[in-house]
Amino acid sequence: MGLGLLASKAMRPTASRLLNFQNPNNLLLRTIVSKPELRKPEPAAAQPEAPLVDLSPRTPVGGARVHFSNPEDAIEVFVDGFPVKIPKGFSVLQACEVAGVDIPRFCYHSRLSIAGNCRMCLVEVEKSPKPVASCAMPALPGMKIKTDTPVAKKAREGVMEFLLMNHPLDCPICDQGGECDLQDQSMAFGSDRGRFTDMKRSVVDKNLGPLVKTVMTRCIQCTRCVRFASEVAGVQDLGMLGRGSGEEIGTYVEKLMTSELSGNVIDICPVGALTSKPFAFKARNWELKGTETIDVTDAVGSNIRIDSRGPEVLRIVPRLNEDINEEWISDKTRFCYDGLKRQRLNDPMIRGPDGRFKPVNWGDALAVVAEAAHQVKPEEIVGISGKLSDAESMIVLKDFLNRMGSNNVWGEGISENTNADLRSGYIMNTSIAGLEKADAFLLVGTQPRVEAAMVNARIRKTVTSNHAKVGYVGPATDFNYDHQHLGTGPQTLVEIAEGRHPFSKIISNAKHPVIIVGAGIFERKDQDAIFAAIETIAKQGNVVRSDWNGLNVLLLHAAQAAALDLGLVPQSEKSLESAKFVYLMGADDTNIDKIPKDAFVVYQGHHGDKSVYRADVILPAAAFSEKEGTYENTEGCTQQTWPAVPTVGDSRDDWKIIRALSEVAGVRLPYDTIGGVRSRLRNVAPNLAQMDEREPAALPSSLRPTFTQKVDPTPFGVAVENFYMTDAITRASKIMAQCSAMLLKK
Amino acid sequence: MAQAIRNAKVPPNSVNLEEARQRVFEFFRSACRSLPTVMEVYNLYDVATISQLRSTIAAEIRKNDHITNPKVIDLLLFKGLEELKNVVNHSKQRHHIVGQYVVGRRGLEQQELAAKEQGISNFLKNFYNSNYS
Amino acid sequence: MASSVVKSIISTVREKGLGGFFRYLKDEGYRRCLPDGNLLQTKIHNIGATLVGVDKYGNKYYEKTENTQYGRHRWVEYAEKTRYNASQVPAEWHGWLHFITDHTGDELLLLRPKRYGLDHKENLSGEGDEFIYHSKGHALNPGQRNWTRYQPWESTTKP
Repeated sequence: MGLGLLASKAMRPTASRLLNFQNPNNLLLRTIVSKPELRKPEPAAAQPEAPLVDLSPRTPVGGARVHFSNPEDAIEVFVDGFPVKIPKGFSVLQACEVAGVDIPRFCYHSRLSIAGNCRMCLVEVEKSPKPVASCAMPALPGMKIKTDTPVAKKAREGVMEFLLMNHPLDCPICDQGGECDLQDQSMAFGSDRGRFTDMKRSVVDKNLGPLVKTVMTRCIQCTRCVRFASEVAGVQDLGMLGRGSGEEIGTYVEKLMTSELSGNVIDICPVGALTSKPFAFKARNWELKGTETIDVTDAVGSNIRIDSRGPEVLRIVPRLNEDINEEWISDKTRFCYDGLKRQRLNDPMIRGPDGRFKPVNWGDALAVVAEAAHQVKPEEIVGISGKLSDAESMIVLKDFLNRMGSNNVWGEGISENTNADLRSGYIMNTSIAGLEKADAFLLVGTQPRVEAAMVNARIRKTVTSNHAKVGYVGPATDFNYDHQHLGTGPQTLVEIAEGRHPFSKIISNAKHPVIIVGAGIFERKDQDAIFAAIETIAKQGNVVRSDWNGLNVLLLHAAQAAALDLGLVPQSEKSLESAKFVYLMGADDTNIDKIPKDAFVVYQGHHGDKSVYRADVILPAAAFSEKEGTYENTEGCTQQTWPAVPTVGDSRDDWKIIRALSEVAGVRLPYDTIGGVRSRLRNVAPNLAQMDEREPAALPSSLRPTFTQKVDPTPFGVAVENFYMTDAITRASKIMAQCSAMLLKK
Repeated sequence: MAQAIRNAKVPPNSVNLEEARQRVFEFFRSACRSLPTVMEVYNLYDVATISQLRSTIAAEIRKNDHITNPKVIDLLLFKGLEELKNVVNHSKQRHHIVGQYVVGRRGLEQQELAAKEQGISNFLKNFYNSNYS
Repeated sequence: MASSVVKSIISTVREKGLGGFFRYLKDEGYRRCLPDGNLLQTKIHNIGATLVGVDKYGNKYYEKTENTQYGRHRWVEYAEKTRYNASQVPAEWHGWLHFITDHTGDELLLLRPKRYGLDHKENLSGEGDEFIYHSKGHALNPGQRNWTRYQPWESTTKP
């Protein structure tokens, strides 16, 4: 028996006698500490080594893995007597996590800088006179960390009592209820009673815009949101005002939060101070069904979880994927979901002779379409797939039109001279996570902040951590990091290629240079010449090497990469003007004025957006939240959506509609299940069958034939006019309309 | 009306096919006679007409027109009468009637539709039916 | 008792004249007393009782504590003389009338929350189809709730 045990045995009788003593005067001495041994905590260091009870290897918290870049850097620390090996530079909190001990925390967030101001993560360290804040304390070799000693427990109880002192007791009406860190941790570490009898403080709510609802009285000043805004989002909107009990989070002047990542503060807020405004009072988190799927509003393919209740999508939250979106998503991704409930097409419709649409059943609608398709010459049939189309429906559309004898099928945002032959010519070869290594960026005709907010967050991260230089060629735009605006047109590119521009030095001196080309250039007539200039820059700057491929294309929408993989490229410029039968599969951003007046137009899609008004037949399809579909993101990673909610009305999955149409038209396609479509997909583009894996391009892009065409001096255009409204879903969304009205006004 | 139905009984065992046939006609007639009551009780005026319901009943009976065994016909008649009783006695609710006999039923048209569906693949049949099959 | 009745009749006639007296008899429902014995009994009961209060529908609440059988000492004379029923008593008077509380309806009204609370509605069963209560999902409710969770595209809207 150790001394410590003896000591505690000696102590216990007195303590219990004190507790059992039913003196009414003694009852006034209500104590916050609930256990006798907590009432007189002594540093455990005084105790000699107690016999170690549990030395079996424990599983790290959340499956955390430690990567040792240099094996010599490993140090050994003891967490509750259990030895763990961690790399140098880890904090005590991280060491505990590796050892499988979850330390309570509010202000610490692994992706933000360390503030150390909530004091919830206090642990006891041997030979340290006071408990230490484990998030801010670097682990030293041989450190003996104790996480469940009376000192640590009392420290947590005390911190929790201070936090709850000014925290309102409004969990029943708080949207964070059920997923609140403070709620959970006060259950686990807090005391069962409080001693606070004064008035609680109250704080005026701030208006942060249409997305984030604030109840600042609930704020516990962890400053996660302030750090997120300045470090990740790159806007200096939020800050800390006042000191002591007058401390408040807020915008310094009355101002809305104008970041495209502002929704993430809802996730990182450990309490209910920042919650989602559109989701306010809609549901409790335990009522929701989560479906792990991916986002299609931009080409990044952020990993998301769609939370639904019954047939309704109630919110969208991010899912962790280190390679793509880390744990953030853009506001467009997070708040577009109310568009899924508005302007939906729910019945097949045929335009009558009076120009009005009449709902019909599927058999009649398909019969009309099939008859119209057979009445035109095969080369007059045109099919266009839209921004949100999945790979399955695109391959089925292509197969169907090929069987009808036409090869005029393409995806939106792809023009006739887009190079779809070499995969490295249209994907992000560096990969999104690979951008973090870069030390010089050349952005050509792309505004990553609006085109792909998550890629922009990576670039920003690289710029702030590596001090990478950013050069930008294109129209004047808003960046949230340091950059040089080199010029507006392709002429600047030629200058850099010919070495006349100072930025060509920066590229050739850089170890890991990255060139990012916007997909808006695909629409330009002189894109071959521009790509030739870019390749010259790449060659001179040694951008493409065996160990580093820094030549990237940043695509604009979710369907683009898969469409290029499947070869959905227009054959000639004139094919749409001479078309007699046009099949629009969710294509809303095609210039419908180009379609001849006498053409028969079929619109297949899920929203009544722009092209429906030109359609003769409407075939309702499923949105991304309702179907199983394969999408490839801009870095060439194939991912899949899963149905979270049922389809609305009488609509059907996209590929099924075309498969059914092919049978009615007498050119029956040979697959009946989604598995069948996928095996066909595998034959055409094998990389689309490799789910959740990034397939790097096989050939370096320098194999392209060289062009000698002259560049057109017209400046680069803006590919995305309005960040919040880019496709049928976001254009139907009320929240997105509010955002573009309030946040985009200059 | 309800009284009449309650008293109608299926006597055991038709002797031959002809008798069973006659009983079927009788059953059809009593069902048709009960239709005004059904319309009234379940308030079906805005979703169906008497002639539609009559044609639905006829379609239900004709579904079994290939059966020649009088005993089987007797059994089916018994089940039909039971159903009719339930309907007339208001043992069902409106949505039962609407779901079973009004929505998706077009009476005799249904059989023509089924004939049209001959020769199409299972995929297309399922496709017309719903998105999930 | 009888003399006080006669006295009050004479004083009313003096006050209103003979024509006014008959109009008063008609308005107060004395004429209905002839076919409706229930009302007649109430009227007789009212003699010598104290009027405790009148609610906003005009129902009069009487109490007589002496010379009355216990349990019959509170009653209501309905404002509606021809088609009266118990559901015309509003909630605030219900408690007083049924000996749940000794607070009169007027006192309880002071406790009524201002911002919410619906007006009392009498039961109109048997008064016609339009008065039948239908729940929000009922097919016969003219304002039947639309359970569709999405808003379909209307083909009439032009961009």
